[in-house]
Amino acid sequence: MSSIFFYARKDAKKNWKTFFFVIIAIAISTANIIILNGFMDGITDGFLEKNMDTSSGHVNIYPDEQDKYIEGLGIKEKKLEGMDGVVAYSPRITAGGTLHYKEKFKTIKILALDPSKENEVTILLSKVDSGETLATNDRDGMLMSYRLADDLKVKPGDEATIVFENGKPRVFKIRGILHTGLAMDTNTIIINFEDAAEQLNLFNKASIILVKLQDETLSGQYKNKISEELGIQKIKEWKQEIESVLSSFKTFREISNFMNAIGLFTGAVSVGIVLYINILHKRRQIGILKAIGMKDLQVLFVYILQAVFLGAIGILIGDALGYAGTKYLEAHPFPDPTLGSLGPRFHLFLIYDASLVTMLIVILAAAFPALMASRTNIIKAIWGN
Amino acid sequence: MEIIKTSNLKKSYMLGKVEVKALNGVDTSVEQGEFVAIMGPSGCGKSTFLNLAGMLDTPTSGEIYLEGNDVTNMNSNTRAEYRLKYIGFVFQFFNLFNELTVMENVMFPMMLNKLSDYKDRSKELLNLVGLGDRLHHLPSELSGGQQQRVTIARSLANNPKILLADEPTGNLDTKSSIEIIELFRKLNQEREQTIVMVTHSPEIGGMADRILHFRDGTIENI
Ligand SMILES: Nc1ncnc2c1ncn2[C@@H]1O[C@H](COP(=O)(O)OP(=O)(O)OP(=O)(O)O)[C@@H](O)[C@H]1O
Ligand SMILES: [Mg+2]
Repeated sequence: MSSIFFYARKDAKKNWKTFFFVIIAIAISTANIIILNGFMDGITDGFLEKNMDTSSGHVNIYPDEQDKYIEGLGIKEKKLEGMDGVVAYSPRITAGGTLHYKEKFKTIKILALDPSKENEVTILLSKVDSGETLATNDRDGMLMSYRLADDLKVKPGDEATIVFENGKPRVFKIRGILHTGLAMDTNTIIINFEDAAEQLNLFNKASIILVKLQDETLSGQYKNKISEELGIQKIKEWKQEIESVLSSFKTFREISNFMNAIGLFTGAVSVGIVLYINILHKRRQIGILKAIGMKDLQVLFVYILQAVFLGAIGILIGDALGYAGTKYLEAHPFPDPTLGSLGPRFHLFLIYDASLVTMLIVILAAAFPALMASRTNIIKAIWGN
Repeated sequence: MEIIKTSNLKKSYMLGKVEVKALNGVDTSVEQGEFVAIMGPSGCGKSTFLNLAGMLDTPTSGEIYLEGNDVTNMNSNTRAEYRLKYIGFVFQFFNLFNELTVMENVMFPMMLNKLSDYKDRSKELLNLVGLGDRLHHLPSELSGGQQQRVTIARSLANNPKILLADEPTGNLDTKSSIEIIELFRKLNQEREQTIVMVTHSPEIGGMADRILHFRDGTIENI
């Protein structure tokens, strides 16, 4: 084996000028995969985290299938309080309605919550652009999503009338403008839980309860536990909540995978062609190698090994480029109106994945020329025709 | 002891639809320690015979025995192993690995054969062929005669039973040719190296113990 290694190394070293371009192609392909996948992860993670932080608990409790609301809220809250591992919870009421302001009216989604409880679970109420956030017991105060506010040209301090889905109107004062980077930025109004309960004649009811756990990885276990203790059928883990969001990234992923594949293909083709040409040039030498007693399989190994050298160097350079590129873009992301910023996120597994895939492809690309070398006919190679 | 023996050895090539009989029934043998020259007109099958004796190729029919073992139908792996351990080759030109230095060229068959003292041995062999001062040169930095001497050193790397040389001086001037042939004589006399050499030159052939005359794929009896 050492003699095979020896020859492969010497031969590659002597031909480094030819191999230089192959190495560059491999490096670019590797870096491309790292950065592109880093981007995908960065965007997906960013989106998920944002969703998670602002609009979901680790597990969310929903009304039973045939019900509109969760009944017996008070008892359920007591039970949640008594459970080990449950850090906080926040019941919410969601309802439809319209907003009237100076002759204009808009269809809105009403989200009612108790700020003191909500703040223990999400950071939704901190996402206020201008004005102030909604305070606990702030009767008649509301937060308005920024697109709605832009549409209506309202500002903190203005008053507007909310007509609830049951037709009951009530005047609220705008405390602040909400900007989350999520879908709710279009037409959501946030008010206090008590106000909504009053307007909708709801007593001891909620549309959803967000639950925060000590350990988010135990969400599966707690889903069952809560279901049992509270006698509730429909509970979703945050992962399930986010699944719909994830699926919208699928096309995006596919495009990026396609681009990776093109990069890899280019790398592979250049490895294959350069090795092939090199082997054609070395026909006589390969004949001599076999004449002095090298076996077919050993000749095959020489050229596979050579591809592995090239691959290793190219991949190392690519890893470095990919690392630097990802880190740079992580620090200098592209600004984005909805997410705030678009940037990759670096994980070590990005490097492992890209390196492994590239190496495999390089070896695959070398297989044909190496096989051809190993099958060289000694007589024809030495007497050259 | 017969180190090479062939019986009714035939080899034909197909050139399109025409059968070319390169060897047409060769019966011969070479004794251990002999220095044999093969001569004959161009195209009479000298190289073909050497390739078969050196296990580089397989015959169409007939048998080849090396040290009494029938090697005619060995598979390609076993043949490679035989070549590595028992046979040394010197071809007419471009025998060396251009990427390797003189010393590395000589070391390489020993590394392939998993010998451990290949460094010392390669220096010894290069001293023997008079190139002890060129260890780290590349083949391209040597003259044709020097390159052939490196090739001879390399062919001796694994102490082969047989040294096969196909027109080793075919590409060299007279002075270098004589140096090479004297080296062969020395190896034959001092180390009892069995040598089979193809040559076109009567003077060079005359320095061997015995000459096999080939004509039209067979050996001529004179
Ligand atoms: N690979 C091949 N395909 C077809 N014919 C071949 C092949 N190799 C050799 N021959 C033919 O076989 C015959 C013997 O060839 P060989 O090379 O053994 O001759 P030679 O005696 O070595 O000649 P030279 O002195 O010119 O080297 C020639 O007619 C040659 O054309
Ligand atoms: Mg010939």
